[in-house]
Amino acid sequence: MSASFFPVATLATSLAAAAIIFLLPEGAVRARTGLNLGAAVLKIGLVAWMVRGLSQGQAYAVEFPVLEGLAFVLRADALGIMFAGLSSLLWLFTTIYAIGYLEDSPNRRRFFGFFSLCVASTLGISLAGNLFTFLIFYELLTLSTYPLVAHRGTPKALAAATLYLRFTLTAGLVLMIGMVALHTLAGDIRFGQREILAEFGPEQRGVLIAIFWVLIAGFGVKAALVPLHGWLPRAMVAPAPVSALLHAVAVVKAGAFGIVRLVYDVYGAEFSQALGLLTGLAVIASVTILYASLRALAQVELKPRLAFSTVSQVSYVVLGVGLFGPLGTIAALSHLLHQGLMKITLFFCAGNYAEELGIHRIDELDGAGRRMPLTSLAFSVGALGMIGVPPLVGFLSKWYLGTGAVQAGMPWVIAVLVVSSLLNAAYFLPILYRLWFCPGPDHGVGTWPEERHLGRFETSSWLLLPMLATALFSVMAGLLAGMPFSPLEWATRVANLEYLP
Amino acid sequence: MMSAANLLLWLALVAPLLLGLLAWWRPPRHMRGVALAGGVLPLATLWLLPRAGEGALHGSLSLAGLSLHWRLDALSALLLLLTQLVLLASAAYAVGHRRAALPPEATHARFWPLLGGLVLALGLIWVAADLLLLYAGLELMGLCAVGMMLLPGKAEAIRAGLRYLLYALVGSLAWLLGVTLLLGAWGTLELAGLAAVVEPDVTTRIAMALLTGGLLLKAAIFPLHGWLVPVHSSAWTPVSAMHGALVVKASFFILITLWRLLLPEAETAAGALGLLGGSAVLWGGLKAWRADSLKQVVAWSTVGQLGYLMLLFPLLAGTAASVATLAWQATWLQLAGHALAKAAMFMAAGNLMLSTGASRLSGLAGTSRRLPLSLMTFGIAAVTLMGLPPSAGFTAKWLLMQASLQSGQWLWVVVLVLGTLLTAAYVFRVLRCSFVEEAPRHDFQTLPRGMDLVPLLLALAAVGLGLVAEWPLSLLRQGGVP
Amino acid sequence: MTSITLILLALLCLIDRHLRRACLAFIVFALVMSYTWWQLSVPWLAVVEALLGALLTGTALLHALGRAGDVPRLPQRDATKQRVGEAPARWFAALAWLSLAGLALVGLLRSGRLPLEGDADPTLMPAGLLVMALGLWAFSHHRHLLRRLLAFNVLGSGVFLLLAGLAGPGPQVQGLILVGLAVALVGSVLGVMLLRRLYALEGSVTLEPEGDP
Repeated sequence: MSASFFPVATLATSLAAAAIIFLLPEGAVRARTGLNLGAAVLKIGLVAWMVRGLSQGQAYAVEFPVLEGLAFVLRADALGIMFAGLSSLLWLFTTIYAIGYLEDSPNRRRFFGFFSLCVASTLGISLAGNLFTFLIFYELLTLSTYPLVAHRGTPKALAAATLYLRFTLTAGLVLMIGMVALHTLAGDIRFGQREILAEFGPEQRGVLIAIFWVLIAGFGVKAALVPLHGWLPRAMVAPAPVSALLHAVAVVKAGAFGIVRLVYDVYGAEFSQALGLLTGLAVIASVTILYASLRALAQVELKPRLAFSTVSQVSYVVLGVGLFGPLGTIAALSHLLHQGLMKITLFFCAGNYAEELGIHRIDELDGAGRRMPLTSLAFSVGALGMIGVPPLVGFLSKWYLGTGAVQAGMPWVIAVLVVSSLLNAAYFLPILYRLWFCPGPDHGVGTWPEERHLGRFETSSWLLLPMLATALFSVMAGLLAGMPFSPLEWATRVANLEYLP
Repeated sequence: MMSAANLLLWLALVAPLLLGLLAWWRPPRHMRGVALAGGVLPLATLWLLPRAGEGALHGSLSLAGLSLHWRLDALSALLLLLTQLVLLASAAYAVGHRRAALPPEATHARFWPLLGGLVLALGLIWVAADLLLLYAGLELMGLCAVGMMLLPGKAEAIRAGLRYLLYALVGSLAWLLGVTLLLGAWGTLELAGLAAVVEPDVTTRIAMALLTGGLLLKAAIFPLHGWLVPVHSSAWTPVSAMHGALVVKASFFILITLWRLLLPEAETAAGALGLLGGSAVLWGGLKAWRADSLKQVVAWSTVGQLGYLMLLFPLLAGTAASVATLAWQATWLQLAGHALAKAAMFMAAGNLMLSTGASRLSGLAGTSRRLPLSLMTFGIAAVTLMGLPPSAGFTAKWLLMQASLQSGQWLWVVVLVLGTLLTAAYVFRVLRCSFVEEAPRHDFQTLPRGMDLVPLLLALAAVGLGLVAEWPLSLLRQGGVP
Repeated sequence: MTSITLILLALLCLIDRHLRRACLAFIVFALVMSYTWWQLSVPWLAVVEALLGALLTGTALLHALGRAGDVPRLPQRDATKQRVGEAPARWFAALAWLSLAGLALVGLLRSGRLPLEGDADPTLMPAGLLVMALGLWAFSHHRHLLRRLLAFNVLGSGVFLLLAGLAGPGPQVQGLILVGLAVALVGSVLGVMLLRRLYALEGSVTLEPEGDP
């Protein structure tokens, strides 16, 4: 009973929230806010319960046939629940943030309805038990994010949304072709049944390799692998909470998570290594990391710089997948969580600067540290984490990546890491310098582009609190990495499941 | 000598006509009444479904030395159920349409017997096991459809109706000539008997060519689709819904039945039909993308979506049994999903046009704020048309793709991909127009609640069908797959 | 003999630009059709043909030209101009139809499987084919809607003749012809009503909007 109850209930929480929000009238702000927060908290509770249950050896799964020989499977395994935990936690914060951010703006019913749907899809992705179910929620994610990107209705927003659709829908089709081909070849593979493909003879290997790359191309668009990343910087026109969620959790992570699932749970790390697929992944990831960092350096606006930084950081996950061995795996999985925490903080900060002071360009940030100290502090934590300064979480990811590279016998990856860290520093440190050390309007030099006084503190508390919370989480994830249920500890647990017999 | 099940079947077939005549005399004023009166029909069919799967329902009607054969297998029972559901939705919607669009009373009353006749004709086509009965059903359907299309009475409606009428009449003569040749060569009209004796010689092929020509014309398959779009542009919304959802598909149903029985091995012809389908997908999609009135978008989309059904021919002829099974299920799932979604889409588009008073896409600006429910319905229906999960369109596409890959017919995968992209292009073009925030309008007409609810339910049914597809598909497989 | 009469009447009905005369020719044509069924010893079909084909369809067609209420009368002559090379698709379809039918008949005759009974008229088949050809030609050629309706009716009769010639006058053939006649009648009535409405609304008697090239 409880085995099937929890996955369904977790998914139903967001779906029901979406449905009710659509039914509520536009003016019912209080009811909507209550519902949003209630659903978010309830979901965290459900996921936490499943985490506890899983660590005690309970299983949560539900399935029913959709076609002959093909089932809809929801199953909470260690890897999936990790992603589910991340998305439900960040959903809560993003919801709080969005309530503050969109105060008194039009079309909030539509926004929050699709927002809930978007989270439901992310949750479905994390709990999907086979590729078919994964695809269902993956495409649902595409659909539910379109109205969010197009939300403002300006020509720029509409054009960005159209571009986003072109990329993601095509990718969805490519993915579908790959999945159907795999299904035709091997039947319905549940995640974790790695032995199915490993048993294929050498004459099928060419086909398997081809299918693998088709699937990677499909996942690569959402994961924003170069050269499939074009939609992401343009999608920056969306409201800040959308950027935060899209870039930290939902869309790009769904792509990265898909790659993780594909390598570890469908092909299996050893078989992928045997087919020579992992090296290719590592190369693609390295190219993406370096190229996107260079592009980030060239941006003069804050949000596009963060966007290119996302492109580069998400590829650390793919790079970790490409490094054969437990350490690479730990790096990939833990970075999936770490990057989410850090990047969402950064986007919250960027949103706060824009809302409170009207700042969009980096050179407008001079002296903002004095006007908005907490926001700037949070930004600094996120940025230093991204660069990989110990003891913040980013350092852990890079450490495991480096040792993983040695373990996998790919020492050149270390060079990539060093160069990319230097580039990270090159595009983040100037911002920190401007924030804290350059004199700005609060020192009597110039004026803020569009200053508003949104709250008692440096800005509205709806905007401030979630940002502080995520910043705190990302610090704690680094400091308390050795504790049980920390991201690193859980990632190690999953990696052990993969590599220990 | 009629068993209870047979009696019930014929009651369910004839009841729509009787109800339609009743409604002619006294048009219904509330959706509740329609739902109550019509709701019994799907229940009856649901009761018949398991019996139909066992193959127990068949027989013949004797009229003056002439026997007409009929049978109800799982496929026809499912199609009957689908017809009754769409009928129910259209009828309920028509009640609201009358209140909102205020057509002349007498004209509105004429809608009902025509609707009843149309549904009777569809029922006859689903159960017919005999070329004569099929002919009668096909003609009744065509004439009722023309009649319904003409109800608005505007000049362009008349012109479109006349064109449709002429095409339909000539199409049925081509069909009759084909039947003539078959009867002359093999001496029987009963499908099972014909299948037993027929040989794939020149006459059979030519007869099939003529039959196919007539049916393609009636099914509006590319390149014989010319009449479809003008007809929809001026028709009433409930009529368009019924027509786009089912009428064109009845001809397809006859087509596939005949080919499967009479020329199952004709691979070249099947390939050609598949190519027609592929071209339909592309051409319909392109035209829908370029169309600038909402109804034209939806109508062109029908032309495109019908193409997917035609892919069944090459996947059925001369392929392995597993491929044929996949394609068979895919096609009927696609048909059902499209029927529900297209009815929903016509109604949602009708609502949008009725509320805004504009028919062009640019008139939709601001609707995402003012008419979110209609727009949402349009979007949900579009999910099925685009074949995005978890809709019936998606599950069907999955099966079709699997069949194409398994049989090595790569071309159809390309068609599926391009078709999906084109569909997305025209659907999101509509949605994009509705997201525009400038040019606010203030004179939106409010519609009865039911008019929003009916299409929403249809669209949700189309999406949900994708997840519970195993239920109808298992019935289909039981009922025998080619 | 009847066959030749039928062909001549069909020709008369289809080439006459004077519409009332053409309709009258069609009524006579339908009566001769009815006589043909009588000869094939299916008297009830003859009665139905006379009733549905000649009387009702004929009346409907003539009604198009008559005066009814305040609706303006249709012009009595077809004044539309025919252009050469118009609607190539239509011509192609008509030719394909005809050649397919011809080929099939040749194939059938060669195979020797035709259950030709003693009392069947051997001229029915060629007559049917010819009448059909005339109908197809007229349907593709004319633009005036009344003449196209006439062409459709003649075409239908051609198919009926072929049907009777091929399969003999069995109950199945009678059933098919009966349905066909009913359809032709309803189709003609609908068509005529529409034509009158179209003329009243726009003064046009063709499918192409007036003034269109």
